[in-house]
Amino acid sequence: MTARNQSLIELDGIRKSFGGNEVLKGISLNVAKGEAVCIIGPSGSGKSTILRCINGLIPIDEGFVRVGKHRVHEIRHERGMRPLRRQVAMVFQQYNLFPHRTALENVMMAPVQVLKHDPGEVRERAIALMAKVRLAGKESSYPGELSGGQQQRVAIARALAMQPEIILFDEVTAALDPETVKDVLTTIRELVEEGMTCLLVTHEMRFAREVADRVCFTDHGLIVESAPPAALFDTPQDPRTREFLSQVL
Amino acid sequence: MFGLDYSWLGDPVYQRWLVDGVWVTLQLALVSSLAAVAIGLVGALGQTLRLWWLDACIELFVEIFRNTPPLLQMLFFYFTLTQIGFTVTDPVTGLQHPLLSAFVSAAISLSLFGGALCIEAFRSGLDAVPKATLEAARSLGYTRLGLFRRVQAPIAARVCLPSLTNILTNLFKTTSQASVITVPELMYAAGQVYSDTFRTLEMMLMVLLVYVTLVSLLAWALTLAERLLAYPGYGKGF
Repeated sequence: MTARNQSLIELDGIRKSFGGNEVLKGISLNVAKGEAVCIIGPSGSGKSTILRCINGLIPIDEGFVRVGKHRVHEIRHERGMRPLRRQVAMVFQQYNLFPHRTALENVMMAPVQVLKHDPGEVRERAIALMAKVRLAGKESSYPGELSGGQQQRVAIARALAMQPEIILFDEVTAALDPETVKDVLTTIRELVEEGMTCLLVTHEMRFAREVADRVCFTDHGLIVESAPPAALFDTPQDPRTREFLSQVL
Repeated sequence: MFGLDYSWLGDPVYQRWLVDGVWVTLQLALVSSLAAVAIGLVGALGQTLRLWWLDACIELFVEIFRNTPPLLQMLFFYFTLTQIGFTVTDPVTGLQHPLLSAFVSAAISLSLFGGALCIEAFRSGLDAVPKATLEAARSLGYTRLGLFRRVQAPIAARVCLPSLTNILTNLFKTTSQASVITVPELMYAAGQVYSDTFRTLEMMLMVLLVYVTLVSLLAWALTLAERLLAYPGYGKGF
């Protein structure tokens, strides 16, 4: 049995250093299928690094990472990461679209080139996804012709086109203006409601309270406190959580 | 007009020298441009493998051939190699000839010189692709090769086209230095003509015009390619 418990994502005692700087000092976290978990915390507390350990973008120094049936920390080669990357999609703060391809091509590229799905079928799927993220009509626009919020929604469509079980959101609204934040959050909220397993690093406290099943507060490479949003925001137990929330709320 | 005398241009002998000269110039430019781009690709790709010994070799190659005058390199390949024994003996006459002809010496040195510049240009293009873009490709399951082919190379190619235009136009002009080792290209033919006619000014004006025309055509073609490949939000794209 590869799984040690029933959860879809299982992190146990993850440690990671960059140079002499220990960014993760023993992170343990379980996420069940269909759960939406938000990670909040001050900058530099290791939030984004946690996400990158889950899909293997960053190798860990110590600990246990499992996603579904994949033991991520045991995969040594990029080629071996493929089944995992198919299961876990990621959306980034800076969108990171491919600038030389149109919006529709961005959505279609990986399913056709990586998963070798039939281009005709992928095309239909991609057009449907563009409509789902409310960008019907923008299929042939290049990323450089789209606003930040539009680019981010293309990035979400690109992630969805892989038909993942899990989506990791890395501060996806941090680079957007307040008005477009709403569009992106609406799209994410719909995904959560449809039962997609989502792990979100975010600074949007109201959004976290509203959509998350659970909120984790990280500080200095540790998960300090983890609770349902109402409990964490209204009656934080740890003094560090209280201090952080008093500054951001 | 202005006391310029172009009557010698009517002489079919001079005409043939000059036309042949232009032809040799074009051949030399084409061969060395293609070889330079090929060397540039191999070198820049080699550097992406991140093997320290290969990196050291490529760096040494770049330092040597980028930082020495192409004229010196031509003289080296043509004369010095011959002096240290790189010769062939003609089986009929028994005479010793240089192993490399003047044209081959010039082509080799221009290829290596241009190649060193291309390695640097292509490397800077590959480096210019944001790490975050590559991370996004990895998160979508692209392997290193797929990521290179589908994302990094297409973006890098667009980034380094302007520097490639600079390198190739410069390389084209540098072919004129091959006249020193008696490659019968345009500059050499021009020298032959004016040492006959003493119409130096007229000849130089004409050579200048030919180079401007040919190099402008080359630059125009490369700029056109740049425009066609441009995508919105970057470079010449809107």
